Amino acid sequence: MTSICLYFEVHQPMRLNHFSVFNIGANHDRNSDYFDQKLNQQIFEKVAKKCYLPTNKVLLDLINRYDGKFRVSFSLTGTFIEYCERYMPSVLDSFKELFATGAVDLIEETYYHSLSSMYDDLDEFEKQIKMHREKIKRIFNYKPKIFRNTETIYDNRIARKINELGYKGIITEGADKILGRRSPNYLYKPFDTDIKVLLRNYKLSDDIGFRFSTHNWSEFPLTADKYAKWISHCEGDLVNLFIDYETFGEHQWIETGIFEFLKHLPGEVLKHNHLDFVTVSEAVERYQPVGEIDVPWAISWADEDRNVSTWLGNDMQIACFNELKNIGRRLKEKGNEMLLKTWRCLQTSDHLYYCSTKGLADGNVHAYFSPYDNPYEGFMNYMNILQDLKQRVML
Amino acid sequence: MKMKIAMIGWEYPPFKAGGLATHCYGLTRSLADKNVKVYFFMPKTKHIANSDHQNLVIKEAGETEIFPYDHPEDEALAGKFFEAVHRYNKLVVAKVKAVAKSEGRFDFIHAHDWLTMEASMILKEEMGVPLVLTIHSTEYDRSGWLNPNQWFIDIERKGMEKADRIIAVSHFTKRVIVEKYGINPNKISVVHNAVYPIPEGKKQEIVLFLGRLTIQKGAEFFLKAARKVLDYEPDVRFVVAGIGDMLPCLIDQAVDLGISNRVIFTGRLTEEEVKHIYGISSVYIMPSVSEPFGITALEAISAGTPTIASKTSGVCETFNNCLKVDFWDTDEIATKIISLLRYESLRTSLAENGKKEIELFTWDNVAGKTIDVYNGIDVERLKKQLKGREKIYKWNQKLASRDYDLSLSLGPKTKKVR
Repeated sequence: MTSICLYFEVHQPMRLNHFSVFNIGANHDRNSDYFDQKLNQQIFEKVAKKCYLPTNKVLLDLINRYDGKFRVSFSLTGTFIEYCERYMPSVLDSFKELFATGAVDLIEETYYHSLSSMYDDLDEFEKQIKMHREKIKRIFNYKPKIFRNTETIYDNRIARKINELGYKGIITEGADKILGRRSPNYLYKPFDTDIKVLLRNYKLSDDIGFRFSTHNWSEFPLTADKYAKWISHCEGDLVNLFIDYETFGEHQWIETGIFEFLKHLPGEVLKHNHLDFVTVSEAVERYQPVGEIDVPWAISWADEDRNVSTWLGNDMQIACFNELKNIGRRLKEKGNEMLLKTWRCLQTSDHLYYCSTKGLADGNVHAYFSPYDNPYEGFMNYMNILQDLKQRVML
Repeated sequence: MKMKIAMIGWEYPPFKAGGLATHCYGLTRSLADKNVKVYFFMPKTKHIANSDHQNLVIKEAGETEIFPYDHPEDEALAGKFFEAVHRYNKLVVAKVKAVAKSEGRFDFIHAHDWLTMEASMILKEEMGVPLVLTIHSTEYDRSGWLNPNQWFIDIERKGMEKADRIIAVSHFTKRVIVEKYGINPNKISVVHNAVYPIPEGKKQEIVLFLGRLTIQKGAEFFLKAARKVLDYEPDVRFVVAGIGDMLPCLIDQAVDLGISNRVIFTGRLTEEEVKHIYGISSVYIMPSVSEPFGITALEAISAGTPTIASKTSGVCETFNNCLKVDFWDTDEIATKIISLLRYESLRTSLAENGKKEIELFTWDNVAGKTIDVYNGIDVERLKKQLKGREKIYKWNQKLASRDYDLSLSLGPKTKKVR
């Protein structure tokens, strides 16, 4: 038997207002105006209509049609849930409806989709996990058993912490550099910790996430029966397909046929008698680790490098990251709840991602998702805001 | 057989007034390296230009009083301007023909900008050799789109129509050629400029403007931004390097803004001084109103100097690692200068990535693409085609002469939402 574990990451960052050096220290009497609420609402509503609502409906129909044999898992970030509450509660209702079927599992992560796991001590990381836990508990009345860190960032230290916090499993990238010639289609365990590690099968996951609509791909067009056949030939216990939820309708537009693919996938998979679907919790209950992995330096699912250089790869990113850490240290001594909340919203990894200069010197601009014209603009805006926040904290 | 080019230029190092000299120097040397025989025709100057390359021969066509950035309104030349242009062009024709007679037929005539248009057209006609024209700037650019002079526009249009192929130094310029001069876009190739890297010096807190002090280059915006920066960073020095007809008003402006003690006007600099000032500056600003390419931006970047360039410049359409602004938005220019001065990581990232990207901008590349343009000319086919399309051009020309907006707006646009 080989199980398919399908999991979706659902996240929206809080994009920032244009903030110039002239704004630094100019409006300390007013409440924080760092976030571009109007733009954030616009984008959220657009993505909700193109992706969240229609895809949730497709999934609900599929779960009902296949009588719970089709099973999926979600990770919803805290900022995403806040957007739902503020702008479109119907989106949250549709997730609740999905969860109520019993065929859907929820995954834990940091509330703010942050890089707090990279800080010198893990207090803030733990705090943000607890905030997420409370949010999920309040909305879904559920306590997730599996953890996935921001962008699947993972190392030995993070694994130990997650074990300590009582989770049964942790998700990361099935990167070649940790597996060598071993297969990602099994559970593993960290070399010094007793927790199960689920590894993303990046090839099969990216076939849907990145290559689905690529016309010069030799396998184009990708159909559900072909894809199911590929999986049926996979060796191993478990094929982990971890994908950005926005793939459906947003990254891959409806015209690409991505929804038709999704609608036909469970039927095609279940034609093969040795295949079934499991949630992340079921995967760790059913299977046992076959080996150990040792990850002293952080890995992630981003770029070819599969490390954290997408967020901490240049001087600008490191300067912002250090500023964030310093502000946090001072803030915690001071204990101002409002500023603490602002500081946490600024920790969302997307802000650092917008400052990435990868590939920029080769003359090829990354086709990446950024509200800025280039990473330098992203840096100046973010750094100016951090300077303003720093001044407020010092007041 | 070795390709043989008669290139008709204007300035050539050590005589240099602008990017044209830099371009001709880089292009001719790299063409020569690629085994193309180049005869470069230019006016007689005080400083004699030399070539140490066997494939590159410099020929002086005679003396002239005109200057590529002159305008007929200039008092010194009074009504003699047109006469002087005509006279020099006649000298060029005679010289090229004489060289062709003694050294053999040319494969192509390659001319640059308006000054020698007349000569190149006559040479194409009389020698039956295809004409390639590189456009480094148009009258619209040089006038800052304010009062373009019809005489220049007419001569530019005639040359463009006559040319078999046109090389534009940017897509921005190609668009101007198509939309304002009514030229068929299919005969225009874009070849971006390049740079010989300049060594980095020991950086000081200097913000630099370097260029001709004319309306086109936007030095006034540099001074306005400087005023704003000094409110926040009082110790910075601003340097305005170069000469031009706007120098007196710029000095007045600096006095009026109350910043004359923080702004240094250098006047004309030598080649060595130019390199030095690029090397030691912390920020370079190119606030051009209209800049077909903007080689100075590449020069500054090659010297490890983070650069803020006008969005209405050719370099901005092709270069990633610089900051881009609307030239009139002096608030934005000022915030970027301050950010660069304050945030070391921004400076180092821009400098490092900029220097890496600069490696893609070599004259060898430019020469390669230029040879592609020569090779792409199917002489017989082109002649037929051009005849058939004459009607369309005429119609385009009519359209272009109507005064419609090229959407190169000079006023503030609505800010983009981020």
